[in-house]
Amino acid sequence: MTQDEIFASIQAKFPKIEKAAVIVKDYLTIRLPSKDVLLPLAAWLKETGFDYLEMVTAVDYLGPVDMKGYIRQMNFNTFLPDGATPQIESAATPNYPYRPVIDLVWSFVSITDKARVIVRLETPRDASSAPTLSGLFKTADWQEREIFDLFGVTYEGHPNLTKILTPDFLQGHPLRKDYAHVKDRYDE
Amino acid sequence: MNNAPVQPDNETVGKLKTDQMFINLGPQHPSTHGVLRVGLTVEGEVIVKAVPDIGYLHRGTEKLAEVRGYHHCVVLTDRWDYVSAMPNNLVFCLAAEKLMGVKAPPRADALRVIMCEMNRVASHLLFFGTYGIDIGAYTPFLYAFREREMILDLFEMMCGARLTYNYIRLGGVMVDATPEWLAKLREFVAYFKPKLDEYDSLLTYNPIFMARTEGVGLIGPEEAVNWGLSGPNLRGSGVNYDARRADPYCGYENYEFDVPLGKTGSCWDRFFCRAQEMRQSIRIIEQALAKLPEGAFMATGVAKIPKPAPGESYAHVEASRGDLGIHLVSDGGISPFRMHVRAPSFINLAMLQEKLVGMKVSDVIALLGSIDIVLGEVDR
Repeated sequence: MTQDEIFASIQAKFPKIEKAAVIVKDYLTIRLPSKDVLLPLAAWLKETGFDYLEMVTAVDYLGPVDMKGYIRQMNFNTFLPDGATPQIESAATPNYPYRPVIDLVWSFVSITDKARVIVRLETPRDASSAPTLSGLFKTADWQEREIFDLFGVTYEGHPNLTKILTPDFLQGHPLRKDYAHVKDRYDE
Repeated sequence: MNNAPVQPDNETVGKLKTDQMFINLGPQHPSTHGVLRVGLTVEGEVIVKAVPDIGYLHRGTEKLAEVRGYHHCVVLTDRWDYVSAMPNNLVFCLAAEKLMGVKAPPRADALRVIMCEMNRVASHLLFFGTYGIDIGAYTPFLYAFREREMILDLFEMMCGARLTYNYIRLGGVMVDATPEWLAKLREFVAYFKPKLDEYDSLLTYNPIFMARTEGVGLIGPEEAVNWGLSGPNLRGSGVNYDARRADPYCGYENYEFDVPLGKTGSCWDRFFCRAQEMRQSIRIIEQALAKLPEGAFMATGVAKIPKPAPGESYAHVEASRGDLGIHLVSDGGISPFRMHVRAPSFINLAMLQEKLVGMKVSDVIALLGSIDIVLGEVDR
């Protein structure tokens, strides 16, 4: 099946779904109108052969990271003399649509068709949530826990939504763009 | 002598209860191949609950990538799966090249394929050796490491590093292969091919080894897909999914190779798939050596400080442990706006919490070893 055929069959079933404005290169990328569509869509995709949930991830579009928080030496090139301009400094790109949203991303793969559908959902940064897919795909269990741990996204109905990668004492969600490191016992 | 029955009758069996016991497997345990802790609740010999605890090796590479240039990020990738770092380099370069619109020249593609397949052999040799130790066979380990050392020497000769190569760069590879290196590789391939049969007689068809692994840790095809397994773990269950075939990269569509499949999805099937994949990797290396194109090993037009146009890309390769993917987002700046790693070890490991329940304690290591995880990739 080509990308257009897959998209046509998705739209026949879920007319509100449209192609994403920014596509992931080479792959079909669709955007959900609201989080209520996710579960029916995922169940339908699983039935139609997209039964391999490849990836669960998220993107925080707040803006570029401020390096000062956690990079001790701004100047990467130690061979440069003191006071030289750092080679790399984070800076906002003009005209890029930074916005306070977290984009949730799921990637479904059909092993028989060798096709991939990337599903995106825009959620507000302060209340980012989506229904869990762990009931349909067991692989979503840990992947959602990872995104919860690193982004603070709540997956409603997840059986065990707890930290998985970061240590217990770590405050906040490190992959959020406004994350600031709180000094702990491991800092000198 | 009293008249008590030698074997308890059915009524007593139901009433007898053993105390549950909690056992910590790891975090420092030779069979976990790194720092993985599994909290096991056992009732006698049977496991009733298993809680894997990961994150001991979490270094936050996804966050680190957000403040580094694209060339710097290649260095970070080496540290995920340090047992087979070439595919890690490759997948990041592929994703970044998609964003930048750069295509590696044919010679670089062939060198990338050779390096990744060599690394797959080295990684599977490590698995072959350590899995034997896990099961109780020490000898195969020494044989496997003898050959693995030769591959690492070849890597060292090429790029100066044994594990963290940083060899595959944006737009190509670090250095070209010299005729001496190619001659050494040909020598190694000729030397290595008969060794594979030796391995099979040493371990693969060893009756004791088969008794310990066959029929243990069964994973059906639907279950394997549902858990999102990839690599030899998925193919051991009989699901034919290989990124080299499904989504060819670096010209893999031009190589002839088979995708070995298991039948039942037992520990032995997963082991068998890896053992067969080594043969296929050698086949691919031979083909790549035979038709190694001449020309440049690095594409032109890769900036010193790349600033790809805003956009998103996803690239995935068949790494030694499964389907390794990178989701890159660029905002037009000098570093990736977001980098997500689809780490196969992390996703393969998730099934442990369910599959261990009901197993005997002695089979835990057999299952854990057969998934072949690298904790650097699990925790990233």
